[in-house]
Amino acid sequence: MPGDPTKDQLVQRVLRVDQAGEYGAVRIYEGQLAVLGRSPVGPVIRQMAEGEREHLATFNALLPQRRVRPTLLHPFWHVAGYALGAGTALLGARAAMACTVAVEEVIDGHYARQVAALGEDEPELRDLCERTRQEEVEHRDISLDHGAAGAPAYKALTGVIKAGSRAAIWLSERI
Amino acid sequence: MNSEAMTVEEADGEVRAARDAILEAVLPQVAFDGWTMKTVAAAASAAGQPAGAAERLFPQGVIDVLSHLSDLSDRKMLAAMAEREVDAAGMSDRIAMAVRLRIEANAPHKEAVRRALSFLALPQNTRVAAKNTLRTVDALWYAAGDIATDFSYYTKRGLLAPVYVATVLYWLDDDSEDFVDTWSFLARRLDNVLQIPRLSGRLRAMANPLSWFGRHGPRWTA
Repeated sequence: MPGDPTKDQLVQRVLRVDQAGEYGAVRIYEGQLAVLGRSPVGPVIRQMAEGEREHLATFNALLPQRRVRPTLLHPFWHVAGYALGAGTALLGARAAMACTVAVEEVIDGHYARQVAALGEDEPELRDLCERTRQEEVEHRDISLDHGAAGAPAYKALTGVIKAGSRAAIWLSERI
Repeated sequence: MNSEAMTVEEADGEVRAARDAILEAVLPQVAFDGWTMKTVAAAASAAGQPAGAAERLFPQGVIDVLSHLSDLSDRKMLAAMAEREVDAAGMSDRIAMAVRLRIEANAPHKEAVRRALSFLALPQNTRVAAKNTLRTVDALWYAAGDIATDFSYYTKRGLLAPVYVATVLYWLDDDSEDFVDTWSFLARRLDNVLQIPRLSGRLRAMANPLSWFGRHGPRWTA
């Protein structure tokens, strides 16, 4: 279709937004750990943060390989991710978990769309997106197990965070 | 061109090869006739291209030809860089080598480069000229093995662009043997902006825009 990204553009967008997303995720967990690092949920968050760091390292290696420029909004995600993590953590451990649920749910759908769009043209990248998606879903389940749904104003909180995550994805694909 | 069973990539490759061939043919002529579509068309038919090929392959005229020259020279630099074992050298040595190979790609056609730069300096062409320069600077960092994936990706390219342009201008008037004066000029310019370890500190600082407002910004990265 006219107006659709070409194959090259698609790969560029996928790698740019995923690298930005994983960086944002690392920053969210760092923000949460700054507040909750020594609380009972500290080890759980630390474990999930470790997973995100591995994802980030993978995408960090892929960007120069495929000559994809990183998002210009990198410094903004640096601050916004940390603020979101620390902000929800200040509302309590369950709110932090609710934040993770909201973000990972959006990411789940985001990676699923990428897997569909990449199709057979980019099997390796597609499989990477699928693997990453499954690990993000695990994070969501872990957070639900830790009482995410019991967070104050769960519906409103996750709604706002989901809208923000979708906006962040849209921006990072393009800028 | 037989279009039926060709993929987009193959068609792109064919167009690129035809453009490359025309450029190689026109470069030696430019010193005498200047960058005009008349020169390009004559070189195209001399290179065995069908009539009208020059206008078809460079629809915007000379500005398209010069953009493609920039792209072709970038590819020559990347190929020359790939032949060298530069992995052991430091980053600033590798950048210097990349800039040198990029300039040497057109060393036999200095007059053509001079005339190209005059054309690109015209007000209506500066936008394309800037675009070409950024693409070249990106290719130089890529060739040098840069792996930045944060904001320093942009600051690095921003720092190199003026150094690269200044070095090309210096080279145009350099009569020294093998352009040794140019390479030492380049080394001094790189020393100014890329000096290790000052470079890493400066880039890391610039990577966090909060630090642009003073050195007492939030320290959240610990």
